[in-house]
Amino acid sequence: MFNKILLRHNIYYLMLAVVFCLSFLLAYSSTDRIFQIGVIVATTLFYVLWGIMHHLLNHDLHLKIVVEYILIGGFGLAMIFFILSVNGNH
Amino acid sequence: MVINDELSQAASAKADDMFQYNYWAHNSPSGKTPWAFITAAGYKYIYAGENLARGFTTTQSVIDAWMASPDHRANMLSSNYQDVGFAVKSGNLNGEDTVLIVEEFGNLYMPVAKNAPQEIAPAKSTVASVPAPAAPVPVVQKTVQAVSKNPLINTSTLSSNIYYVFILVFIFALFLDMIIIEKKKVMRFVGHNIDHILYLLLVLSLVGIWSKGVII
Repeated sequence: MFNKILLRHNIYYLMLAVVFCLSFLLAYSSTDRIFQIGVIVATTLFYVLWGIMHHLLNHDLHLKIVVEYILIGGFGLAMIFFILSVNGNH
Repeated sequence: MVINDELSQAASAKADDMFQYNYWAHNSPSGKTPWAFITAAGYKYIYAGENLARGFTTTQSVIDAWMASPDHRANMLSSNYQDVGFAVKSGNLNGEDTVLIVEEFGNLYMPVAKNAPQEIAPAKSTVASVPAPAAPVPVVQKTVQAVSKNPLINTSTLSSNIYYVFILVFIFALFLDMIIIEKKKVMRFVGHNIDHILYLLLVLSLVGIWSKGVII
């Protein structure tokens, strides 16, 4: 079942995973805080747009799906910014 | 090693300088080296070294990080140093509240290598071949007697841990939802849970990295 979902959208998910891995490596290897934040914000934007585009291509895009992606993206960013403000490392 | 007040003052001045001029490096943006702080504190070193740490929440985690790094470990265990000074300061660096830990090492005298027989030869040749040994200096060993009591709740790690748990529960809920919906063949217009899970795993990884301190 899980494999069936993956197979159906494998290229889409693979692309997403590759971009996330690259984003992680970029953020991890850099010590420049502005660059790190830029990478995370860009990755979140990509995640939201990529998700919307995927639904658009599948003809099942609805406003609540857009809101769902934006909310989860916002939640992820909020978490990252909070951790950075609490620990303030790098 | 012995705790040295002058090195502690140098460490404190270095931490203040980093907060004041917003930098996180051994050398300041204006080119001021760690040795300038040590000298300014009145410590006339022969050898000197510096370890920096930032964003750690426990003493043990700083020590572990330094000991795991070959360069920092070499500083801490080097026989070239006989004095050490520390400063732990909290402040705002580049708009972020953080804790800086500065450790300065130094030695006022030329260290004598333990495994060099020519340097511990009879008095005559020692005087002839080795620079005049320093007169014995009374070393005042400071004994710090303090009551160490760990807080019941470490608020800094607590917030990070709450986030870990929250993200993990969120991921688990999305995964469970994905399985149930697929199993029951429910038709609904929602986002793809795998997208969200992948994104949250990225967030979790970054939270994991950035909630730990860094050393240079």
